[in-house]
Amino acid sequence: MTAKTEATLEHGLKVGGLDDGRVTLRQTLVACSLLLVALLAGILVTSLFGSERLPARASICALASLGQHSCGLTPDQYAILLEIRLPRIFLAAAVGASLAAAGASYQALLRNPLAEPYLLGVSNGAAVGTMIALVFFGTWEWSRPLMAFTGALAATFVVYRLAQGRAGASPERLILAGVIVTTFLSSAIVFVTTLMDATRIRSFTFWLLGDLSGTTTSLLALAIIVAIIGTAVLAANARSLNLLMLGERDAFDLGVEVGRVRLIVFFVASLLVGSSVASSGSVGYVGLVVPHLVRLSLGSDNRIAVPAAALAGALFVVVADTVARTIIAPRELPVGAITALIGAPLFVYLLKRG
Amino acid sequence: MLLACSVNKPIPIAESHDTRRVTDEAGKSVSVPAEIERFISLAPNLTEIAFAIGAGDRLVGNTTFCDYPEEAKRVQRVGDTLQPSIERILALRPQVVLVSTSSQLEAFSKQLDEHRIAVYVTDPRDLEGVFRSIENLGKLLNQEQRAEETVSQLRKRATTVTEAVKSTKPSRVFYQLSAEPLYTAGHDSFVTDLIRRAGGVSVTSDVPEAWPRYSQEAAVAARPEAIILPTDGSMGSANSEVAEGLKRSPAALSGKVYRINGDFLSRPGPRAVDGLEALAHALHPEAFNK
Repeated sequence: MTAKTEATLEHGLKVGGLDDGRVTLRQTLVACSLLLVALLAGILVTSLFGSERLPARASICALASLGQHSCGLTPDQYAILLEIRLPRIFLAAAVGASLAAAGASYQALLRNPLAEPYLLGVSNGAAVGTMIALVFFGTWEWSRPLMAFTGALAATFVVYRLAQGRAGASPERLILAGVIVTTFLSSAIVFVTTLMDATRIRSFTFWLLGDLSGTTTSLLALAIIVAIIGTAVLAANARSLNLLMLGERDAFDLGVEVGRVRLIVFFVASLLVGSSVASSGSVGYVGLVVPHLVRLSLGSDNRIAVPAAALAGALFVVVADTVARTIIAPRELPVGAITALIGAPLFVYLLKRG
Repeated sequence: MLLACSVNKPIPIAESHDTRRVTDEAGKSVSVPAEIERFISLAPNLTEIAFAIGAGDRLVGNTTFCDYPEEAKRVQRVGDTLQPSIERILALRPQVVLVSTSSQLEAFSKQLDEHRIAVYVTDPRDLEGVFRSIENLGKLLNQEQRAEETVSQLRKRATTVTEAVKSTKPSRVFYQLSAEPLYTAGHDSFVTDLIRRAGGVSVTSDVPEAWPRYSQEAAVAARPEAIILPTDGSMGSANSEVAEGLKRSPAALSGKVYRINGDFLSRPGPRAVDGLEALAHALHPEAFNK
């Protein structure tokens, strides 16, 4: 990027009210390292909580040895810690990172602070995809993430197309399009669940609210890999996203290949939402609340906001799920209920403050 | 049209007949004709009871879940247990509608009340409660003798089972209603009673609710010696595999995972005794091989 465009960008970000927009690489690294440390600490601490009480010292010892030593844990305790609790925490982290990174990028690309996978109908698109996979290809494991991704992508493009008016896509039009697609897909979900038999309805409605309890090793691995690669790709496009926040025409004038960036972001964000919905249902508010908190505290430069949102989102869902699985133990709550209970009031507070 | 009229006027239900007051299992007083000629069942267990006591020919409506006995499938459907159609029910002019607390139709019952249709609620919480429901429906539908015969036969079979397993060591049972997410049978479920009678003890018998969502960790820690998978029947092949967390439980390692027809275990009706027998034979085969 030439000095001239750098200067224009700086000017542009200032014009856009983003005066604290530019950050150095060092700032990004420091902020992300701190968040990473917080996330690892969060994973360690939450792995000591669950419906079963495990001896803390032995648990930490077993975790520190990366599962090589049982450190005096009984085989059952060892299995609870390393085969049930820890994978679930990792899944929570992957889901949180995916949704928050996707939310942050949608907000930048669509220049809309309310853009969020759940509100845009993307989560519901993925949910309908997953449901179709369950009904028609129940036995093939990979059909779930594949169909979820397809559903998310389809919903994204429909919302985007609906939002395009003659005068371009206004933020209001976009949210309206999101609401229309969301309610349409919700009705589709109700329609199909009514056709499904009673035993499957129960688990499906629970799953719709977000459920991290049942996943396979392969789906977990997929969720983690997609979260890391997806966030990296989005972060790599952060500079273009910064320029896109000025408006598509300005970004184009500044040399951004708008069409290509839009395609990449839609594709990758749909992949992130699809893989998290396929493994855990629709966990709401993460993509909305987390990027906002990150922007409030670290500024709105997407080079820092996207990776930081991913790490903070991971921590948020890890903590929320710990509440969900311990508060009425040995029974459980859906994690989506907890993220909404924390997220909605927090969002109202942010709106009032903003 | 029918709906509009019925809001203002009660549907004329056999005015020439005498009426009588009965108290249903929820403790509510219900006014019904002396002779009930048309009734609707809104739960598969009640449909099964109705046919078992010989009142099936007067059943004018039931749900899409009512698939036993074979004749039940030929009865007019009024929707499923979760969402029955009030219009269809009114059109069938029932003198009484039978509902089960297990299908959570309280709000719907109120709606029927408003249309002056008598609602009889059954509330079986254990096997004894099932027997009581059969006898109560026998009285309601004037099939007392058939009901008493049915109950005495069922009771005899249940006693045979409990006698056979009396001296066995109760095994610790986990009842897996669904694997993902994990659901089990809690304190208020009648399966918990069946497991106890079959010579087992449910490791989740203290958990509140009838069908609680259950923690995988807690399931591992409970170390069940046997796992029951209600499957087959109307459930198809759903729930035929053990949940991930239970794959290394003593039960799974020793091969003590038993698939039992879910309809026997989820419907508090006459076939609950079939469920009891299947459970006891699974948990204590030695008690029946003498």
